[in-house]
Amino acid sequence: MEGDVLQQDDREPVGFDWSRLASVKPAELGLRFVFGTVIALIAAIAGTAAGPRFGGLFLAFPAVLPATLTLIEKKEGMTKAWADASGGVLGALGLGAFAFTAMLLRWNPVGALLLALVAWAAVSAGLYFLFRVTGLFLRQDRLVSRAGS
Amino acid sequence: MALKALIGGLAVVGFSLIGHAGHPKRFAGLFSAAPSVAVASLAITAVLKGADATVLYTQGMLIGSAGMLAYCLVSLYLIQRLHALVGSILAWLAWLLVAGGLYLVLGS
Repeated sequence: MEGDVLQQDDREPVGFDWSRLASVKPAELGLRFVFGTVIALIAAIAGTAAGPRFGGLFLAFPAVLPATLTLIEKKEGMTKAWADASGGVLGALGLGAFAFTAMLLRWNPVGALLLALVAWAAVSAGLYFLFRVTGLFLRQDRLVSRAGS
Repeated sequence: MALKALIGGLAVVGFSLIGHAGHPKRFAGLFSAAPSVAVASLAITAVLKGADATVLYTQGMLIGSAGMLAYCLVSLYLIQRLHALVGSILAWLAWLLVAGGLYLVLGS
């Protein structure tokens, strides 16, 4: 992991550059689509065969991440792939918030799913900005680097 | 089931495109753990089987998201040593251990 590349990337303003989508190859999208359909199918089959609670496990399975991280490493280097996984840690906490909020489905399915998406976005982005502003990313990076040395 | 698979696949593509456009990389990474398959699957289950049928799925998903957290933390360690392909695939074991273990203790 190259610390200077990571720090330079971290300093970029937060936002979306939609022109980057022009560089996405159809094969990359196809790969993600296949992984997505397979895991949705596994969740449905597991839910039918072993019960919905078991099937629900697979709604939070990182099926697409290996493909995503490998493509990022190939195009932009290992440090950028590492940074993406680092963001995934906070996204995973948001995923927990999504699942917790979605338990309100019995009350109002559409409202609960929309609220769950808001909970995911609020927790993920909230933690991201907290880590960015307070320097917690740097501490996390040092901790992981020390654990590996 | 086929409808869930199709819409789940499309949702994954949609979220990954948003992530691809996002910057910096750590911010884009938030979308790597987006509930793409979950949104599609829960919405279709709610429509076809009713809201009550989906609640157990969300309980399982909450356990699975603890596994996702473990996966991302372990992949941080493994990617540095084994690169993205091997590291991120091996990290699936962390998901299996945490999600499977918690399911056996709490969920089954």
